Amino acid sequence: MTFPPVLDVDWSALAPALALLVTAAVTLFFALFHKDSRHVAITALIGVVTAFLFALARFLEPGEQVASFGLRYYGDTMALAFTFIILLGTALAILVSYDQLKRQDLDRPEYYPLMLLSALGAVIMASSGDLITLVLGLEIMSLPVYVLSAWRTRDRQSEEAGMKYFLLGAFGSAMLIYGIALLYGAGGTFVFEGLAQSLAGGQLTVLATLGGALVLVGLGFKASMAPFHQWAPDVYTGAPTPVVTFMSVVIKVGAFAALLRVVAVVFPQLSPWLITALAVIVAATLIIGNLSALMQRGVKRILAYSAVAHAGYLGLALLAPDHGGIPAAAFYLTAYALMNAGAFAVLSLMTDANDRGDDLDRFAGLGAKRPWLAATLTFFLLSLGGIPPLAGFAGKVLVFQAVIEAGWYWLAVLGILTSVVALVYYFRIIAYMYFRESEYEAPSTRSTATNVAIAVALVGTLLFGLFPGLWHDLLNVGQTFIAGF
Amino acid sequence: MISLYVILLPVLMALLAILARGSAPLVRGLAFLGGIGTFALALFLAGSEGFNAAWLPGIGVNFALDATGAGPVLVLVAALVMIPTLLVAASRVEKGAAGFVALLLLAQAGLNGIFLSKDLIVFYIFWEATLIPGLLLLGIYGGDRRRQATLKYLVYAVAGSFLMLISILALKALSGAASFHITELMIATPALSAATQTWLFVGMAVGMMVKLPLWPLHSWLIDLNEQNHPSGAADVLGSLYKVGAFGFFAWALPLLPAGAERVAPYLLALAAVTAVYGALAAISQDHLKRFLAYGSLSHMGIIGVGLFGLHLAGLSGAIYFLAAQMLSTGGLFLVAGMLYHRRRSFSVKDYGGLAKSAPAFAAVSLFLIFAYIGVPGLSNFPGEFMALLGAFQTSPWPAAFATLAVIAAGVYGVNLFQRLFQGTTTVPTTDLSPLELYVLVPFVAGVLWLGISPAPQLRQIEQQASLVTLQLERVVEAQPGVPAVTLAELPGGER
Repeated sequence: MTFPPVLDVDWSALAPALALLVTAAVTLFFALFHKDSRHVAITALIGVVTAFLFALARFLEPGEQVASFGLRYYGDTMALAFTFIILLGTALAILVSYDQLKRQDLDRPEYYPLMLLSALGAVIMASSGDLITLVLGLEIMSLPVYVLSAWRTRDRQSEEAGMKYFLLGAFGSAMLIYGIALLYGAGGTFVFEGLAQSLAGGQLTVLATLGGALVLVGLGFKASMAPFHQWAPDVYTGAPTPVVTFMSVVIKVGAFAALLRVVAVVFPQLSPWLITALAVIVAATLIIGNLSALMQRGVKRILAYSAVAHAGYLGLALLAPDHGGIPAAAFYLTAYALMNAGAFAVLSLMTDANDRGDDLDRFAGLGAKRPWLAATLTFFLLSLGGIPPLAGFAGKVLVFQAVIEAGWYWLAVLGILTSVVALVYYFRIIAYMYFRESEYEAPSTRSTATNVAIAVALVGTLLFGLFPGLWHDLLNVGQTFIAGF
Repeated sequence: MISLYVILLPVLMALLAILARGSAPLVRGLAFLGGIGTFALALFLAGSEGFNAAWLPGIGVNFALDATGAGPVLVLVAALVMIPTLLVAASRVEKGAAGFVALLLLAQAGLNGIFLSKDLIVFYIFWEATLIPGLLLLGIYGGDRRRQATLKYLVYAVAGSFLMLISILALKALSGAASFHITELMIATPALSAATQTWLFVGMAVGMMVKLPLWPLHSWLIDLNEQNHPSGAADVLGSLYKVGAFGFFAWALPLLPAGAERVAPYLLALAAVTAVYGALAAISQDHLKRFLAYGSLSHMGIIGVGLFGLHLAGLSGAIYFLAAQMLSTGGLFLVAGMLYHRRRSFSVKDYGGLAKSAPAFAAVSLFLIFAYIGVPGLSNFPGEFMALLGAFQTSPWPAAFATLAVIAAGVYGVNLFQRLFQGTTTVPTTDLSPLELYVLVPFVAGVLWLGISPAPQLRQIEQQASLVTLQLERVVEAQPGVPAVTLAELPGGER
């Protein structure tokens, strides 16, 4: 294949990422002079909105060029769709952090630049058309989050979370890079398109498949798919809740965006057992995520395992890239970003200054004491459980439709059976809030910014639940969704 | 458009009721307005123009509603039942009446959606969404063992309906239908092989059996009714939400005729067992609500017998019975609630001889019990009779067995009345209050209406039932891929 001249830069596609980078740099500079992190937060939010507007402009008027740097950095519908979701998740997390960092004694202004950098990494991952770009994005995304996980310094649990995440994350990255080396050895290029073409001949398939498997493992770590999910519950429990709001959404979107592109473009050229292995991983994720969540008593841990389970549902879409799986995954991730960030936002109001108190018992009687808080959490939980007419249901229908059309009936049935389990543990929280009397004082935390985040998530969950066509039609543009695929 | 308004109005009223939760009179007014308004709309529903809008065009889902066939009849009867039920909820629930009313209204909106939707996914959306208000009513307002009952209800309902969802999605994927609209599905799905149809039918049947309900998937119903709020208002909703029969009638049977023919004999046997089991269990109950739950389970068995006989008269009769039982069962649950209001007990042993001090109460109750056990001239009789008659044409033995339930009904019905209202007086009790009188009048009127003049409603139901039999005949003709039914013959066919 002939590549365009080396510096074919499409600035409109790069603009969202650059906006994040510039804002991160500016906020870092601000952080030197401001003790109060709120100004920094507002600047960060402005940067996120700017990036969003750049992405929107590109989305409305796509340029002729689908990618920059010789198909190494995409600006196609898929990249932009995932950029939207990442920016949405980041904005929600900034709002949740805005006036809660002080309360939780986490108020150091470097927080926001780190968050922006991590979002930048996720955007690069979603746009990557090349394995090196992918690794760069992954590292830019991960390193700040390791720091943010341990943001509650002198707290053993938070430090443990950061350390654990860092060690396991580094392990995952190593796997990924090793896999990339093998793929390069087999295909002679890092570019997805080039790999697909040079591997199509059928030589060196074993080597390439081994490389593909290691890439799958590396990205599976970030996507928290079983059996590479073990870090997730501990990190979610140990890290400060606003940070979890961020990473439960953004990291997952980045990882899945990259996975989708690799699986859709490169995997068809590899040995078919890799797809079978992926199916087994997805099945394991569904079973382990849902059954483990059922055993938990801490709501944060329940949601952590539920995040693992949702990686399983997204994995179903991975198996059906030719049958509408990609727009399905994008829609599912949108819904997931809204409902999961919403649920964690509510949770951040429930926990005390040390981020403790997420035990189920604390939720007893919340329906009577904080009716609005309980009602919104109920909405998010029902949506996570896939109850219509909320966004999670539309996402579930799309994903299952795709996986059934691709012929994975056993996985569809397994997925639906585990969904029953999921509904039980989600409903358990609702049951505590409404069907029991309170034994504790109601949490008294109130935060306007967090309320705004909750309201945005709630409106989105309802809107995309009642009118899913609005967003899915934009995503569902057929073959051109992955440029060149 | 009325078919859309009949769903939106209760939702709107529910939201208003929540906003007005501070003021009891306002909530009562909104409840009344919601009930009457929906009923008024439902009166003009039959034959009105449908509604169609793209919902998720990427996978062929349209928000399609249509007011032909059996749907409008069920909406109308449900709306009639809901007026007094909402009144009872607004005045007899001491704590959180606004929430109770709002949940009832939301459930009513969902029910109307179930009855009117013509797109399979939209049908599923309403089917599933209606579960949540019912769960919350039970969990928030229920009795001491409400949590176990809620969990049981949740697991039964969700396990069934999620399997149904898989069948629904596979239905389109395998048949290659262009969308989930019933007309497109009905053309495409009968071409599927009999084995495929059987599997898909089983998947759908599990979800629908839970909500029919059929033995042995019925036990959630008994606990639900026992633990629900003592006013009985939530139990009325429970008797409206037995939509499994409608699911079979409107979707599973016409879409998968070959599967239906293979599976129906087994379901017929289960239905006959349900009918007799429910009736026998009812005889031995002391708890008033459990009694009504088992009696109603027996009715559902007879409805199942009518359905799975796969005969035109049986199908129409079953759906007519489904509409009619809303009145008698619902009315009796409210009567039970009124008794509880007087004595704080659901145990039949605590009552007796009430007729002396409360003659009007006794008379109305006797009337409703007569309707409940299927006395000719009252609402349950035409449907029950036709359901059994239809089943006799195709499968006489199960039908004959199920008829035992009708005999047992006479026993438990009269027995109940004697134990409650006759015999030696225990403690004198107050007769019907004006509110209670107003509450029971719509039930009495409805029982007479459906009992005396069944023909117009039956015509509407038969219009849809004949579709089912048409689809079943296509299996016999065995011409896969050749549509024997033209588009215009189907409900909403001119889409």
